Amino acid sequence: MSSLLSLRKVGKSFGGLSALSGITFDVRPGEIVGVIGPNGAGKTTLFNVVTAVFPPTAGEVAFDGERISGLPPHAITRRGITRTFQNIRLFSTMTLEENVMVGRHCRTGAGVWRGVLRTPGQRREERGIRGKTRELLDLVGLSGVDREMAAGSLPYGHQRRLEIARALAAEPRLLLLDEPVAGMNDAETQDVFGLIKRVQSLGVTILLIEHDMSLVMKACDRLVVFNFGRKIAEGTPEEIRDDPQVIEAYLGAVEGDADA
Amino acid sequence: MEWLNPYHLQVASFMLINAILGVSIYVTLSTGQLSLGNAGFMSIGAYTAALLSTQHHVPIPVGILAGSLLAGAAGILVGIPALRLSGVYLAIATLGFGEVLRAVLINWDSLTGGAVGVAAIPQMGRVILVWARDRGFSPESLGLQSNQFISLTVFLVLLLGTVLTVVFFLRLSRSRVGRAYAAIRLDESAASAAGIPITYYKVLAFSQGALLSGFAGALFAHSTSYVSPGDFTYHRAVEILVFAVFGGSEHIIGPVFGAAFLTVVPEALRSISGYRYILYGLLLVLVVIYRPQGVIDPALLRRLRRSGRETPA
Repeated sequence: MSSLLSLRKVGKSFGGLSALSGITFDVRPGEIVGVIGPNGAGKTTLFNVVTAVFPPTAGEVAFDGERISGLPPHAITRRGITRTFQNIRLFSTMTLEENVMVGRHCRTGAGVWRGVLRTPGQRREERGIRGKTRELLDLVGLSGVDREMAAGSLPYGHQRRLEIARALAAEPRLLLLDEPVAGMNDAETQDVFGLIKRVQSLGVTILLIEHDMSLVMKACDRLVVFNFGRKIAEGTPEEIRDDPQVIEAYLGAVEGDADA
Repeated sequence: MEWLNPYHLQVASFMLINAILGVSIYVTLSTGQLSLGNAGFMSIGAYTAALLSTQHHVPIPVGILAGSLLAGAAGILVGIPALRLSGVYLAIATLGFGEVLRAVLINWDSLTGGAVGVAAIPQMGRVILVWARDRGFSPESLGLQSNQFISLTVFLVLLLGTVLTVVFFLRLSRSRVGRAYAAIRLDESAASAAGIPITYYKVLAFSQGALLSGFAGALFAHSTSYVSPGDFTYHRAVEILVFAVFGGSEHIIGPVFGAAFLTVVPEALRSISGYRYILYGLLLVLVVIYRPQGVIDPALLRRLRRSGRETPA
C-alpha cells in the first residue's frame, strides 16, 4: 500500500448543490500533486473535506491506510495533515513567533497546571517550541523579520510564508497549499517555488492548488484536474497539457468560442 | 491608626471581589465567548459557601473551595450546550441561565431561605479574630480596634485571593493553553486547522470563568455575612461585563483596572449623590466612543513599560 492520501468516491453536496462528486485519486508519499481546474471546480471544497472543515456527504478519505473522514479537524492535523488557506488566515494581532507557536500545539502537551506553575518540563517544552519556531521562520525566509511584529502588519508575501511556517510547525506528512502564489509577482513566485521544493526535500508530501500554470507544470509530479466538482483528468504535467478535455475545460469547446 | 477606616477598607474589599469577577469574564472572553451568566455562577459559589458554613459548620476555606468547584462544574454543564451559540445569542442564553438560577434561589425556600436569603454567615475577619484571640493575640497590641482588625484581615485575605487569581491567569495567558485561547478568539477555523481542539478549550475557559465567579461569590458571602437573591440579579451580570468593556478585555490588567475604578468612582462621588450615576454613565459612554478596546490595551502597556525603562526610578 503505497498511497499516503486516498480518496474513494468522495462527494460533497450543499443542500441540492453538488460541489464534489465521485472523486477518486491517490497521493503517494513524497510527491507534489497539483490540483487544477477553473474557478468553482471544487478544489478548495476538496481541501475542506480532507481537513474536516465539513465532512464528505459520500465516499471515504483515508490517510496512511486509515479512514479519517469523520474525525474532527484537530485530530486530522494531529495525524499529520495541515493546510494553508486561499485567503490567508493568520492570527493577525499575534506576533509572527506566536503564530508559528500555535501551530506547534498538537506536538506539545503542557496543560493548565504545568503552564501556570512553569515546571522544568514545561519550560523545556517552551524552549523547544521557540527553537522549532526560529528554525521554521528561517526555512520560509522570514528570519530577517522582527519576530515580535504583529502578523497582520506583514507584507502580503510574508504572510503567505508565515502561514506555511505555521502549517509546518505541526510536523505534517501531507501539506495542503491553497494558491500559495496568488497575487505574487514572478520573483516572489520563484521564491515560493524554491520553498515548496525545500519542503518536499524534508520528506513532506504536498497537495497544491494553484492557478499559476508555469509553477504547477514545474513543481508538480502529477496533476489532478477538476471541473464542475468532478475529476476530469489525472496524469503527469505533460499528459495533462495535451489532454483535450482539460483544454476544453480551460479554453472552452471550439464551438463555444463565439460566446466567449 | 485612625486613618485605617473600616469603610475605606470595605470599599477596597469590594474592589478586589469585583476584580476577580472582572477576571472571570475576561477568561471566558479570551476564547471569544461572551457570557453574562457570571452573576449566576457567583450565586452558586456564594450560596454553597454560605449554606455549608451556616448549616453544616464546614470550615470557611473548605466552603470557599466547594463553592468554587461547584460553580466550575456548573460551568461545564452550561458550557457544553453553549458551544452551539456565539455572540449575542450566547450572551442572552447565559443571561437566561442566571435568571433561572435566581428564580430557583427565591423559590427553593427550604434550602436557600427564599427571597430573604441566608444571614449570619461567619464573617472571615471575625472568625480570624476569634481564632487569634484564643491564642492570646489582641489587635490592640498592634494599635488596632477590633473592627479595624476585622476589616483589615478581610481586605488582606481578598488581596491574597486576587493576586493569586491574577498571577494564575497571567501565567496561563502566556502558556500553550493561553495561546490556544487567543487563537480560538482570533479565528476559530484557523485554530482548529492548526491542531487546537476547539470544544475542549472553549468548555475549559467557560468553566474556569464560572469557577472564578463562584470563588468571588464565596469570598463575598464570607465578607458581608449575608447573601440574598437580590445580590445576583441581571444588574450584577451587566456590571461584570462593564468591568471588562471599560477596562479592556485584551489583557488581564484591563478588567482588574475596570473593576477597581468603577467600584471606587460611585463611592468617591457620594458627595454629589444624585448626580454620581450620571457621571458614571457619561464616563462609560466616553470610553466606548474614544477607546472602544477599553482603557487598558496591550499597546498602552507596551508604551508604559518602554517609558518606565527610559526613565529609571
